[in-house]
Amino acid sequence: MPEEHRRLLQLFRPFRWWMLAGAFLSLLTILANFGLMTLSGWFLASAAFAGLGGWATLNQYNFFLPAVGVRAFALTRVLARWSERVVTHEATFRLLAQLRTWFYTRIEPLAPAGLQEYRSSELLSRLVSDIDTLNNFYLRVFTPFLVAGVATLIMAGFFALYAWSLGLALLVLLALTGLLLPLWSQHLGASSSAELTRVQARMRNQLIDALQGMGEIITANAAERTQAQLLAENAALLTQQRRLAGIAGMGSAGMGFMANFTLWVILLLAIPLVGRRTITPAELPMFALGTMAAFEAVLALPLAFQFLGQTREAARRIFAVADNPIPFPEAREAITAPSHFDITLENVHLRYPHASQDALQGLSLHIGQGERVAILGATGAGKSSIANLLLRFYDYQQGSVRLGGQELKAYPGDQLRQYVALLSQRSYLFHSSIRDNLLLAKGDAEEEELWAALRQAQLEDFVRSLPQGLDNVVGEGGVRLSGGQARRVAIARAILKNSPVLILDEPSEGLDALTEARFLEDLRVLMEKRTVIYITHRLLGLEQMDRIYVLAQGRVQESGTYADLIQKPDSLLHRFAELGGTLLHS
Amino acid sequence: MAKAERVDGRLMKVGKSARGALYGAISLGVVAGLLIIVQAWLLARIVNAVAFHGQPLATQWGLLAVLLGLFVLRAGLSWASEIVAFRASASIKTDLRRELLQHLFARGPVPLAGEHSGDLATTLIDGVEALEPYFSRYLPQMALVSLIPLAILVVVFPVDWISGLILLICGPLIPFFMVLVGYAAEAINQRQWRQLLLMSSHFLDVLQGLTTLKIFGRAKDEIAIVAHLSDEYRKTTMAGLRVAFLTSAVLEFFASLGIALVAVSLGVRLLQVHATIDFYAAFFVLLLAPEYFSPLRGLATHYHARMSAIAAAKRIFEILDAPLPPGPLAPLQVLPAVREGVSLRLEDLHYRYDPEGPEALAGFSAAFPAGSYTALVGSSGAGKSTVANAILGFVQPEKGKIWVDGMDLHSIDPRFWYEQIAWIPQNPRLFAGSIADNLRLARPQASLEELREAAQAANALAFIEALPHAWDTQLGDLGSGISGGQVQRLALARAFLRDPRLLILDEATANLDMESEALFLDSLERLRQGRTVIVIAHRLATANRAEQVIVLDAGRVIEQGMPAQLLSQGGAYARLVHTYRGQYHA
Repeated sequence: MPEEHRRLLQLFRPFRWWMLAGAFLSLLTILANFGLMTLSGWFLASAAFAGLGGWATLNQYNFFLPAVGVRAFALTRVLARWSERVVTHEATFRLLAQLRTWFYTRIEPLAPAGLQEYRSSELLSRLVSDIDTLNNFYLRVFTPFLVAGVATLIMAGFFALYAWSLGLALLVLLALTGLLLPLWSQHLGASSSAELTRVQARMRNQLIDALQGMGEIITANAAERTQAQLLAENAALLTQQRRLAGIAGMGSAGMGFMANFTLWVILLLAIPLVGRRTITPAELPMFALGTMAAFEAVLALPLAFQFLGQTREAARRIFAVADNPIPFPEAREAITAPSHFDITLENVHLRYPHASQDALQGLSLHIGQGERVAILGATGAGKSSIANLLLRFYDYQQGSVRLGGQELKAYPGDQLRQYVALLSQRSYLFHSSIRDNLLLAKGDAEEEELWAALRQAQLEDFVRSLPQGLDNVVGEGGVRLSGGQARRVAIARAILKNSPVLILDEPSEGLDALTEARFLEDLRVLMEKRTVIYITHRLLGLEQMDRIYVLAQGRVQESGTYADLIQKPDSLLHRFAELGGTLLHS
Repeated sequence: MAKAERVDGRLMKVGKSARGALYGAISLGVVAGLLIIVQAWLLARIVNAVAFHGQPLATQWGLLAVLLGLFVLRAGLSWASEIVAFRASASIKTDLRRELLQHLFARGPVPLAGEHSGDLATTLIDGVEALEPYFSRYLPQMALVSLIPLAILVVVFPVDWISGLILLICGPLIPFFMVLVGYAAEAINQRQWRQLLLMSSHFLDVLQGLTTLKIFGRAKDEIAIVAHLSDEYRKTTMAGLRVAFLTSAVLEFFASLGIALVAVSLGVRLLQVHATIDFYAAFFVLLLAPEYFSPLRGLATHYHARMSAIAAAKRIFEILDAPLPPGPLAPLQVLPAVREGVSLRLEDLHYRYDPEGPEALAGFSAAFPAGSYTALVGSSGAGKSTVANAILGFVQPEKGKIWVDGMDLHSIDPRFWYEQIAWIPQNPRLFAGSIADNLRLARPQASLEELREAAQAANALAFIEALPHAWDTQLGDLGSGISGGQVQRLALARAFLRDPRLLILDEATANLDMESEALFLDSLERLRQGRTVIVIAHRLATANRAEQVIVLDAGRVIEQGMPAQLLSQGGAYARLVHTYRGQYHA
């Protein structure tokens, strides 16, 4: 068994009884049918013999038992089928829930530093669908293999009771059909399946490109070219599918043929046995019908082989993520709350995992409680690293960072984050009600508090105008919020959280000019009575700050008030102002 | 149901082009199915001869050989049937994809903006794919379901009318009860799976928002919610599924009991001194009994294929049924070849996106003289982009005319019109492919030298050639390492390659860093020489440099003139500028 599947089974251990019960019922379903057919075959023939034998044999013949047996097998089959489906599905759902909670507990400590490479929603959704794929492991891989194996042994064993050659033939031919045939067709189709996945991904990308860039394609007079390209991909797709359909057709025709062929071999072996009296003539139809019914056991195996590969791949990816080491150890014991919230950085070095150079290279700065400080710098200057540092999302390798006089490393991450609120363009809104999104910040907030926060964020009127007010769902399938409105929800959240330190990480990024102007205006409420760290690459709003730190190459290059710095002709701020002058001084 | 059947009807129409192949596949399947009867007859003869007439193997070789040949023939037929069925569905898929693409391109980019492009791509790829089982499995299976059991009945009745009657009663009861229990249960089933998808998307939502959860100290609580939701979901789903699985129980009930009844009734009659039936006939009937139910067994699976095909088809037809904009007037004209900028006059344009909604353009009139530089300003929703869409032909004004060099735009060949234009949208699209490929969208035959010149003019050459793979750098993948500012400059390079007479630029709302902004403005200055330029100005920096500013409100021009003049007038433009900068200079 592949390592991935072994680990999966280990994970599923708490539900092993559910799993085994489902498999047992599935086995029962197959054996009931086998019993029904073998017994019917025997019953028919022996009854015919009894009939031919005249009154004497007739009276000896126990008609009652086989007739009841036939009906009992039929009823068993009906009940086993139904309960098998109920139990296996129940087990599947339990396993899925287990898998989700297990995965979540594994990756929660990793976020965000250890999950850096999974930031894009595309990769995340692949992980989620991987988990859904693993859902199939029990139902479509584990059960079919187990049941096919056990059922084959039982049925072959039953044949062997009469004649070992019949048992052996059934065993070998069932195994050939169940294992070799699917493996062989899988081998034949392997390159085509891989190519199919590639072509499909390529076509999807091209299609999304074409749909999202349609205006540019049309105005570049490239519409026909683009459609022809897409249809060429379609043709490539069909070429692979044609090959795979041929192989799949061969597989299912082969399965049918093997069932028939086995019947043929069994007849060939059994007919001489009748002559030699090893088996009675009445048993010949029993073997014929039994062989036909036996193949139900391996019917699910071709699909199981497909899922075997798929679930293995999915498990490999899931385990690869879950096995990531925790990026850095965190303090566990909460410490006494600091009496003030001064922030001091001394000669701090921070390097991101897999990075070739430090993002912060000896950064030193001081922010007193209640101060409003701007961190200004171009992309890559290390601005956002300050937010990552203070939220304890990343560890620093050298130097010292203190909040309220306590070294940051002494705080457990969750305690530290009580004191720090973050507002950024990436503030995430959950696809849930506005209320849920707000309660995130303060679980026990009263209705009135929520409205007050919305009022301060200038969103009250909008939310009151929604049909379900606070309970309106945000995002796909719910009300779509504009960029400005979404950020106002984030403001309301930060108001509710009411933490002493507020980090604004390019909070108005991506808003159009007018919305941005109004948004920055509304941020003022939030900034009152808090330590504010305003991270930006532009000059908007800097006049209101108590101090500006200009960053470059992970270090403070200059600091001072806006008025001071702008007057120095050789200051970086002055140069920025000149560069972006058209922006500000139009 | 009525609705689903309407979709069935339309699907049949879609399948018309492949009717020959479909009938071929069905006939092959039916012949393979009918051969079962011959096979059962041969088998019964052999078993009867050996068991009841004491014939040795040697006498049966002939029949056994025929039997083996029959097995091979049946396997070959079923394989051929699959291949032919694939061929039929392949041509249907290609036709549908072509039609969908043509339709989407004919509708143009504006209606697309309201759609989720990922969803459209899924419809075009997976949705069309979901139709395959409908044509290659469901339709042939329906033919088998009605023909094979019928053929078996026709054979069984003369042999033994009692067994025939049992089969006749049990067979139709299966579809009957499946309709009764199954359709309702199927609906439950479908709803459950949809909910399962919802569960997955909730989990995805949680993973995407993990960082936000951490900031609010809620990450560890969420595990309980995930577990609770999964559990709740399992309970409600299982309640539904327990009913849904009755479908399979019903099928099993009639199929297994049908076989059991046939077997017992035959057995009873064989157990008589002067039996009305002999073993040969009885065994023949018993062999056919499972085959009688076998196509019905497949019904449930294929019914599922039909349901998903119908769901997919609904979405496909929805796309195909969206109305197309009216085509241009015939005969189409071409513009006289001139080198200078286009002279453009818009006269009393009216347009609304939503027939019920407000007018996006409400009598918009403006002139853009040849070689002029105009900025359109106004708050979002004022109609700026609609003006551009009308000029680009993406929307057809309900009223009013657009004059291009004195000719009605509606009478100009769109291909010819697009040759005169370059359009840079707000978020220029980079397509999967190399940087060189991306620029060549604008001019497919451009030489590397021409690409370099255009890139140089767009201030993009330096960064392109500094990339490790320079012009061969693949874009479109995640993390291609191209910044927002660089994307803008690549789009400008495309515009240089187009060498247009009219440039329409929808300014980016995303903030470029100051250096990028300066480079962008610098190359724009170069590009505008000798061309007519219309800029949709979201930030006011570009507006300030224009020769003419047009201020829009509610789809109308409210102010127009030189920027400096408008600023001093203290009207709408001055107010906009003031709102934008006001607070920072207050």
